[in-house]
Amino acid sequence: MKILVVDDFSTMRRIIKNLLRDLGFQNVSEADDGNTALPMLQNGDYDFVVTDWNMPGMQGIDLLKAIRADENLSHLPVLMVTAEAKREQIVAAAQAGVNGYIVKPFTAATLREKLEKIFERIK
Amino acid sequence: MASDSIRISLAQAKELVELLEQGEQAQADALLGEIVKVQHDELFASVGRLTRDLHDSLQDFHVDPRLESLMEDELPDAKNRLNYVIQRTEDAANRTMDAVEASLPIAEQMHQQVSHIQPVWDRLMSRDLELNEFKQLCHDVDSFIRDSGQHAAHLQGLMTEVLMAQDYQDITGQVIRRVIELVQDVEQNLIELLKVFAKREDSEVQADKKKAKPDNIGAEGPIIDAEQRDDVVNGQDEVDDLLSSLGF
Repeated sequence: MKILVVDDFSTMRRIIKNLLRDLGFQNVSEADDGNTALPMLQNGDYDFVVTDWNMPGMQGIDLLKAIRADENLSHLPVLMVTAEAKREQIVAAAQAGVNGYIVKPFTAATLREKLEKIFERIK
Repeated sequence: MASDSIRISLAQAKELVELLEQGEQAQADALLGEIVKVQHDELFASVGRLTRDLHDSLQDFHVDPRLESLMEDELPDAKNRLNYVIQRTEDAANRTMDAVEASLPIAEQMHQQVSHIQPVWDRLMSRDLELNEFKQLCHDVDSFIRDSGQHAAHLQGLMTEVLMAQDYQDITGQVIRRVIELVQDVEQNLIELLKVFAKREDSEVQADKKKAKPDNIGAEGPIIDAEQRDDVVNGQDEVDDLLSSLGF
């Protein structure tokens, strides 16, 4: 399972990476915004994306739309982990095809629960 | 220039018509000039008053040393303060995670040693152990005790490091409080500025306020007053409820 974590704050990438490692996911790469993430996704065989919303450059919602619009990536599960908490934003993310939405601050248990739920649906 | 005040009387109008009928063009023009002169004077006086108010206000702003220091020193300073907050919080997070990452292998090693010793120990307790096995067990237990002492001291040090890394909260809290004060100062000055320049009707201002918020899904960053707002969710449970209401 190859995972890409997209967040502009290195500390948050580190926290998510550590949590994922605790859950048994060792193969985790990082990108600091959508512009960096998209070419990585197009060139690498990633199985899963965890992304923030608010980032300089390409934002998470635009990354999500770009992934869904790319026929090679459109199936890729995307979990949004963000401080953005407006109802309209969550609805917009759902309409854009997000697979899960976690608001910061979050707990390790929440991340585990959402990941399990997403993988359950994929099977 | 009030619209309810009389601008031209019937007598003046009749006189004007008479003059024109008699072909006294120059006199008619003079009369008309006299009639509108009153209004011009009012307009000029009004514009003059406004100009003087504006001038005085600008003069006041110019000499207000608070505004000057706000623009030249405190706003750039606030940027630095906020960057400092980012730096401090990043350092604290990394310090904490360094300590945690150093602790986890120690816990793992202790766990492995225990799992190695325990089956043999259990057999000792049930009097089912050969002498040579017993000797080996003694050595294993001996090194486990020594290692545990070292590990405990090491873990204690790392936990203290985690504890100390949290001191960023005090420092950043103070810095942010000062930035809040500065923002309030700027806001107060902007309100004064608005009072001078804005002569618009309230309804116009209201309309502009509505126009200023066209993008409801633009990124806003952490919501610091979720309890006071009804357009945001308050916690993961509300996110889950919302998404399940959408069929997720």
